[in-house]
Amino acid sequence: MNVLFNEMTEQEKLNHFIARIEAGEKIEADDWMPEDYRGTLIKLISMHGISEIMGALPEKEWVPKAPTLNRKLGIMAKVQDEMGHGQILLRVAEDLLKPCGKKRDDLMQDLFNGDLKFHNVFHMEAKTWGDAGLIGWLVDGAAIISQTNMLGSSYGPYSRALHRICAEEVFHAQHGEAIIMALAEGTEQQRKLVQDSIDYWWESLLLFFGPPSKKEVGSSKQDITIKYRIRTSTNEELRQAFFSKYVKRILSLGYTIPDQTLRFDKESETWIYRQPDWGKLKVYARNEGPRSQGRLSLRRISYENNKWVREALAPKVM
Amino acid sequence: MVTRQETYFEEFEVFSRKTQSSPVQYHFSLLAPNEDIAIMMAQENFMRREAVDDIWVVKRQNIRKMTVEEKKTLQRMDNKDYRTTKGYGYLKKKWRKYEQGMLDEKEIMSWGGGVTNEE
Amino acid sequence: MKNEALKNISIKELLLQLADDDFIHSYRGAEWLGLAPHIEEDVASASISQDTMGHAAIFYKLLEELGEGDADRLAHDRPAKERRNAIILEAANGPGYYMKDPDYDWAFAVVRNYFYTEAKAIKIQSLQSSSYEPLAEVAQKVQMELYYHLMHWKMWFVQLLGSHHADAVSRMKAAIDKTLPDFAGVFSLGQYGEEMVELGLIDGGIQKKWVEAVTPIFESVGLATTFKIGMAKGDGRNGVHTEDLEAALETLSEVYASDKAASW
Repeated sequence: MNVLFNEMTEQEKLNHFIARIEAGEKIEADDWMPEDYRGTLIKLISMHGISEIMGALPEKEWVPKAPTLNRKLGIMAKVQDEMGHGQILLRVAEDLLKPCGKKRDDLMQDLFNGDLKFHNVFHMEAKTWGDAGLIGWLVDGAAIISQTNMLGSSYGPYSRALHRICAEEVFHAQHGEAIIMALAEGTEQQRKLVQDSIDYWWESLLLFFGPPSKKEVGSSKQDITIKYRIRTSTNEELRQAFFSKYVKRILSLGYTIPDQTLRFDKESETWIYRQPDWGKLKVYARNEGPRSQGRLSLRRISYENNKWVREALAPKVM
Repeated sequence: MVTRQETYFEEFEVFSRKTQSSPVQYHFSLLAPNEDIAIMMAQENFMRREAVDDIWVVKRQNIRKMTVEEKKTLQRMDNKDYRTTKGYGYLKKKWRKYEQGMLDEKEIMSWGGGVTNEE
Repeated sequence: MKNEALKNISIKELLLQLADDDFIHSYRGAEWLGLAPHIEEDVASASISQDTMGHAAIFYKLLEELGEGDADRLAHDRPAKERRNAIILEAANGPGYYMKDPDYDWAFAVVRNYFYTEAKAIKIQSLQSSSYEPLAEVAQKVQMELYYHLMHWKMWFVQLLGSHHADAVSRMKAAIDKTLPDFAGVFSLGQYGEEMVELGLIDGGIQKKWVEAVTPIFESVGLATTFKIGMAKGDGRNGVHTEDLEAALETLSEVYASDKAASW
């Protein structure tokens, strides 16, 4: 009979763990896992989850203003999904955090005090209805590329969550495309909304995939996530995939991309582009983006205002 | 003395059944202060786009899962044909000799719709 | 001929009331998106706001079919004085703006939503046998979705009041005291109300049925059941409205109004 799992040495457990993920097995919440695996997943998934929650807000700003009954319904359903994705992902993160004694309340506190970051794009303003459409079209497009990259994640609960999420993202992308298409085929003024949005969001879209390597911002999680088979492609590979999928579509609608140097280099089969200002990622990480504080404040107010509800219904124990 | 627990958030696992004849399927977990709220949250959180016939919510602490050791008990040798129809496939040939068809799974399950009388 | 004209106007008035009620009610629900007491509830209640907006769209569509103009125009491009919604439904969710410092009150949301859904369920029940056939058909479909809406809001109402948590109970009572003085506006059928009932478009006595429906719920959580239901701020069915509606209309039509001829 084999030695009991609990009696294995740490090294034996690690070897067993590595063998499992290399065999394509899924790791579950209650399984043994190395601390850096847990730590990486917690960082990645809690940031992903809270980004969905914070990411619901830019479009939520346009829900009451959506210009037709049908658009009002569509964008409401989309914002609801974002909250739903946040729910699913936070549950995954919360299960990982359990051994550390942390719960959803703690995640919210981490968000409020700046320890838990959310994606750069959601620090930006959504100034026009064009931005509401562009978020669905291109920000969700970028998110789909980065999320599908992790569908086969070695962490089972994350992989299952992403399968649910990506299926809904397809609706999101089409919802965004529908808004953009109506504007692109509309009046001069409507067409301009889209160009202005592309110009405003382009740099953020490039930043979204993260730096190509450590040297741009001083640290990067990508090596460890690839080592542990949490994802397969690098940040740069994902950004390149984004160009391949979306540049042609943007141009086909008669719009320009605010980067004169952008081109596909046939020889190296890569897109050449002007590097975004990587320093901005740090600015957003400090919650100093154009709408960082405004949106954090909305979450804080709702959290504080509804405290009585949570207190009133908290299960009583003897 | 009654004290209040720190948290509003209890963990519930959510299951559903698509139709009256489908097996119950696991969805995901959610947080709610009690099971009445949990069941009210379940459909719109996980089944907004699909029709279901029934929903179950179960407090996570009431689910006993297997440990790593216990999962080892799930392994079996591949020598149990005697337990399945595979081990009795030779009967088909036998029955042919007596000019009779085989009452296989497909045939037997089809009786659910009623058996047609014949000689 | 005169009777025919009166009938037409009664049908249109009733449809406007139903559409405008659901439209503004859903709008207030949409402002709550992202701000509910917990994420799971945020997701669940968003479905109710969508369903309700869907119902408004169906009622506006019935008006469109009667030659009242495009459903989107009816929803987005009518000034406050032409709106027929009950005043209690247009009341803001609380101080502040949905994008900045929304000091929203979940107790008011629960009370208003529960009261309104109970009233709507009674109306829709009655409309299923409306003499106006297209409305009767729509009512049968709308009714299906109200089971969930009603159960959802009743649950919150009962749980918060039944929590025996002093703060929660006093907030809920305050919300009831804020809602009832204007809640008769929901039952009002406006100046053509008598004709509507005579023509068999809808039953009268909705308020009485509502009181019968909520009384056992009030009793179950130890609330007094002596109702004083009023229309303190006036009858929205006759175009009387408040600043809250003006502000909401400005927001909800912002994009639409930027180019009314454009396709969005």
